[in-house]
Amino acid sequence: MRLIIDGIEFGYSSIPVLKDITLDANGPQLLSIIGPNGVGKSTLIHCINRILSPNKGTVMIDGDLVNDISLKDLAKKVGYVPYSANDTFPLSVVDTVLMGRHPHATYKSLDKDLDIVYDTLRLLDIEDLAMRNFDELSAGQHQKVMLARGLVQQPEILLLDEPTSNLDIKHQMEVTRILRDLSQEKNILIIMISHDLNIAAKYSDTMIMLNEGYIYAIGKPSEVITKENIKAVYDVDSEIIVSHNRPHLIMLDEEFDDRECELPEGTYASNTKME
Amino acid sequence: MYELSFEDCYRILMEHIMGNITDPYSDDIVVNTRLPISVFAVIVGAVLAVGGAVMQSMLRNPLADPYTMGVSSGALLGASIAIVLGNSVMPFFNDQWMRVIMAFGFSLIPVAVILLFSFRRRVTATKIILIGIAMMYIFSAIVQLLMITASEETLSEIYSWRVGTLALTTWETIPVPLGISVFCGILIMYHQSRINVMMAGTNSAHSMGVDPRRTILVEITLVSLMTAAVVCFTGTIGFVGLVAPHIARLFVGSDTKHLLPASAVFGGLFLLLANCIARVSGEYGLPVGVISAIIGCPLFIFILVKMRRKSAWR
Repeated sequence: MRLIIDGIEFGYSSIPVLKDITLDANGPQLLSIIGPNGVGKSTLIHCINRILSPNKGTVMIDGDLVNDISLKDLAKKVGYVPYSANDTFPLSVVDTVLMGRHPHATYKSLDKDLDIVYDTLRLLDIEDLAMRNFDELSAGQHQKVMLARGLVQQPEILLLDEPTSNLDIKHQMEVTRILRDLSQEKNILIIMISHDLNIAAKYSDTMIMLNEGYIYAIGKPSEVITKENIKAVYDVDSEIIVSHNRPHLIMLDEEFDDRECELPEGTYASNTKME
Repeated sequence: MYELSFEDCYRILMEHIMGNITDPYSDDIVVNTRLPISVFAVIVGAVLAVGGAVMQSMLRNPLADPYTMGVSSGALLGASIAIVLGNSVMPFFNDQWMRVIMAFGFSLIPVAVILLFSFRRRVTATKIILIGIAMMYIFSAIVQLLMITASEETLSEIYSWRVGTLALTTWETIPVPLGISVFCGILIMYHQSRINVMMAGTNSAHSMGVDPRRTILVEITLVSLMTAAVVCFTGTIGFVGLVAPHIARLFVGSDTKHLLPASAVFGGLFLLLANCIARVSGEYGLPVGVISAIIGCPLFIFILVKMRRKSAWR
């Protein structure tokens, strides 16, 4: 699969959000989009799957303009996992994931669709949740169910809006590792928005750093996560250490870094398990 | 009021079916008065409940019902104008049909406004609810104005139309609303998978191949059409469209594949029960709209407290 974004621009009313974004992403990989709040990360992925229409420029998937592809056919090529799940009327996990088969569904396909749903639940190791209700699950399980719904669309490109935002460090690593592995096993171009630069740098093949609507930097994690880029885009001083060929960011704040951390008087807890 | 027990009604009905009528007067009351009312109660209940289930699922709002777009207030305004003016506007219809036609026409005004609005601006669930509320206030204000200037007799007619009643139903009443409801109901069931996907939110629905804007416009048109088709005969029967889908959700969950038929069954049975109670209450019976609210509310709270099935809603 090949995604070509050619000079897209988008704005809400007269406020420009994306300015001349050009990108050519080819082959299975995990591609992370990073950048401060409000620089247009979600807007960019919404332009890829036509939730938003750019004011200027084009988006092409495998040589076809997305505007020329029917919505149903586009849903077979591009999956989307939103930032948060809607659960006003929660369904069971199976029914939630089965929604993702909508673009492929026919009147005779239910058995096949259910097989695909259960295979995906097994792949993500959440088969035991199948009959549970969506609103009974933890944040980490929610995230996996939403990921499963995106995967059963069997897309060539999967877009994820902050898939690890509500997760603890173990689940952040687990979900991102799964995404990285799936990109290779299922031959998918996975595009993920992330605010956790270290997790993104640890698992991504490619990173894009957005700033003020432009692509500020693009390349391997070690090329994007640099002291200079972090200062320029986030206005934060940092140290970068390299571990196992992957950059790792340490935030610096001169005012606080030299202070000893003192427990305020009278603050204590009993029965701690820490040794 | 002519007294007939349940056993009497059953016997008279069986005699009618077998062609062995022993009491023509009772036969006429059961077959031509009570039976069409009961049949229409089931149809109206089913239509309002399915309409409510579609609106709640599609707009992702547990407070939505088939009247959310202002269908009932439009119908009330149409009927009120017809009651005030009589059949002077359309002399070729009698008073009853004049009311039905005016109520049907006016009840579709809000959805027409939403459709016109959608040509120029993007429609969202919130905008639809707000437009519906705005239309409801406008229509209510005009009805109030009519009521201020109306005579006592007209006032009482408008009031009785407002609370909703099945008492005027005859066999002639049923074919048109039944035909429209079946037509809309079949199309809604055909679209149930899209309505289900809409529960995931508009962006998610879009990414799963469902056009949210088109789905909302098509489904609110169908719901308005079938609701208008029954409400123009009965007046505003409240509560069924709001509560029956929630009761159905407690038993079958939120998946529209099961929810829509279950809502139809619960809505139909609920209004039939409310109608039975309304018929035997007071010397001349009570309006079914009053009874449906009086029995519906405690029943709903009881089921809510007792069952608390988590899959139903949050």
